[in-house]
Amino acid sequence: MSSILDVSAIHTFIGPFHILEGVDLTIEEGDIVALLGRNGAGKTTTLKSILGLTPPRSGSVTFLGADLAGLRPFEVAQRGIGYVPEHRAIFKDLSVEENLKIAEREKGDYLRRKDFILSLFPDLGRLIGLPGTKLSGGQQQMLAVGRALVPENHLLLIDEPSEGLAPVLIEQMMDAIIEMSSDTTVLLVEQNFIVASRLASKYVIVEEGRSVSYGMMDDLVNDEETIRRYLGAA
Amino acid sequence: MTATARTSESRNRRISDRLKKVKGKAAILAALGFIFLSGLFSMDSGDWMITVLRGLSVGAITFLVASGLSLIFGLMDVLNLAHGELFMLGAYVGWTVYVRPDTFMDVLLPVGIVVAVFAAAPFFAWLASRVPLSGGFNRILAWALVLVGLLGTAAALPRFPLSMWNLDAFAETPVANSLAFDTGTQVLPPHAVFDGSAVALIILLLITVSLIAFGIALLKKTGAAPSRLSGRSMAPAVTALVIALGSLMFNDMLTEWMYGIGTTYRFFIALGVAAIGGFGLGSVIEMILIRPLYDRPLYQLMITLGLGFIIIETVRSVWGRPEFTMPKPALFAGTGDGCPGEGLSGFFSGCSTVKILDTRIRVYNEFFIILVGAAVLVIITLLIKRTRMGMIIRAGVQDREMVEALGVNVRRVFTTVFGLGVGLAAFGGVIAAPALGLSTEMGSRVLLLALIAMAVGGLTSFPGAAAGAILVGLLQQFVIKLGSTGIPLPWLDEPFKPSPSLVPVSVIVLMIVVLLVAPQGLFGREE
Repeated sequence: MSSILDVSAIHTFIGPFHILEGVDLTIEEGDIVALLGRNGAGKTTTLKSILGLTPPRSGSVTFLGADLAGLRPFEVAQRGIGYVPEHRAIFKDLSVEENLKIAEREKGDYLRRKDFILSLFPDLGRLIGLPGTKLSGGQQQMLAVGRALVPENHLLLIDEPSEGLAPVLIEQMMDAIIEMSSDTTVLLVEQNFIVASRLASKYVIVEEGRSVSYGMMDDLVNDEETIRRYLGAA
Repeated sequence: MTATARTSESRNRRISDRLKKVKGKAAILAALGFIFLSGLFSMDSGDWMITVLRGLSVGAITFLVASGLSLIFGLMDVLNLAHGELFMLGAYVGWTVYVRPDTFMDVLLPVGIVVAVFAAAPFFAWLASRVPLSGGFNRILAWALVLVGLLGTAAALPRFPLSMWNLDAFAETPVANSLAFDTGTQVLPPHAVFDGSAVALIILLLITVSLIAFGIALLKKTGAAPSRLSGRSMAPAVTALVIALGSLMFNDMLTEWMYGIGTTYRFFIALGVAAIGGFGLGSVIEMILIRPLYDRPLYQLMITLGLGFIIIETVRSVWGRPEFTMPKPALFAGTGDGCPGEGLSGFFSGCSTVKILDTRIRVYNEFFIILVGAAVLVIITLLIKRTRMGMIIRAGVQDREMVEALGVNVRRVFTTVFGLGVGLAAFGGVIAAPALGLSTEMGSRVLLLALIAMAVGGLTSFPGAAAGAILVGLLQQFVIKLGSTGIPLPWLDEPFKPSPSLVPVSVIVLMIVVLLVAPQGLFGREE
């Protein structure tokens, strides 16, 4: 196994605020890695820094052996990183189908991947012509994940896939993520520790803008001390 | 309180809020409808029809400006205050192509060379990435090149032939020329000639402009990996160069051809030149002036406002005394036997006017302009609804960051949309010119109407801008007309006559009322 993403000692500022003060993480091909930590610890900013949406001021992000410094977000994405943001960011003036099509990087991506995406989220099939505004929260989440699957991506950054979903939908979302991870690597931000522990094989904990602990998920599950210290009562 | 009671209460509140808003909008539309329909009782039907047509015509021209403004504002939050002046510049460029094709042919050469060199930016970026300099030395070299290039360009450009402003070659002023053109007494001017060797001057200009472009490329060098050069990226530069050299080699032939094809075809060529030129100029403005300031909206406002003044002064200095009339193309200028045309078929008889309901309708002003406005509305709507670019625009209006994160080069879309908006405005300027004439003030007048149309329709809503433009045009024309006929009000003995000074005020009042009742505009969506 080789590492496909290397984040080393990144520092990111948003305005005057020093949000990330040294985050390191390494992701190997085929992994599902959970990025854990309390609210405001810097998990979302880590994802955005990888993509270049909030470019790190120092440190380095290496993806598939190439340094991403100085690249604009669309260039980073074009190298094969899909992004499912917090709060879904579904385009309301676009239909469900257009929301998927807009993610095409090459003509025909959508048609090529349509069946696969609809097999993961059968609900989207009957919603395909609806405008984005008509979707429920769960449907939007499925659409947001589906959108990230349209082009061929080597890595998916998924922010809070279970947030605000009913339990039955969480199950469906977890099945989908496990299914898609057979050919894609996933970096996942997840508040719900139970969900994270069932999905991910590895974890990284971020605390006050620093990565403080990483390892195998199986070890973390039994490490009550670490859980209590960094994740609160879980 | 139970949860269900709470949600149903909040739903009720939402519905009543909604009703209140809809009521306000409905009241405004009803009031406008009253003004438009009250005309039916106070004027005869012919008058009413012509007022509606004139209103739609003003609306169509306003729309050509407002559509670009609204697309640009919706997508990139830039209020381009130079938009009116770009409309005006389009009119002047179109006028020149139309009335003085010989000048247009002469201008193509230097303009083509400059465009070709700057279109070769990928080549210069590639060249710059090979220069093993960095930091201060790099900057000094870059600025030195730009300076030398500018001086050389300034020396070379005036030696290129330009028949219009070369008094030896052609002693008439543009105004007299326009008049001669209109009365058919225009004579082909003798050709202007190079002040020196043509080949030497062309090579000199190529070199000096290249120095500028290379200097800029050095300044923009990032120090990242050297960029690759692909043959395809050079296609625009080669095209521009071919056009430039072609316009030189076949200058006589093309000029004669342009004079020979008649005013109708030349008018359409003028429209095309203005639209394409506007697109190019708009793209350059976005890249050079707007792009560095996306984080500072106030500076953007100031820079576009300043740009407007610069354009006005440039037009004054280039075109001399700046008020012209633009003769209507032959297709809309027919007189004599069988004119004015009768009924609907008369619109296609080539007459300048058509008689319907005993009223003379000017085919160009009150029919063709509306037709063009409607066609542009349909085309832009299709572009937004049906194409990938339109999809990206609709998505980008809502969430630029996410569009970028999907791998779309949003910056390039910005440049294209800005160019498209400016191209539409320039196109609108040429469309308006035969009806309104040309003056340096035409831009600010139409900009005010367009801004009001946007505010009335909802700032970021494209259909809103179209509807707002139509409402503003209709209102303006009805207030003008009712100023002479009066509104018969049952509680007054004399019909109420709005005074002429109410005309400019009326549309502003409409905007104020709309913004007070529905701050998002009549068709805008709540944030």
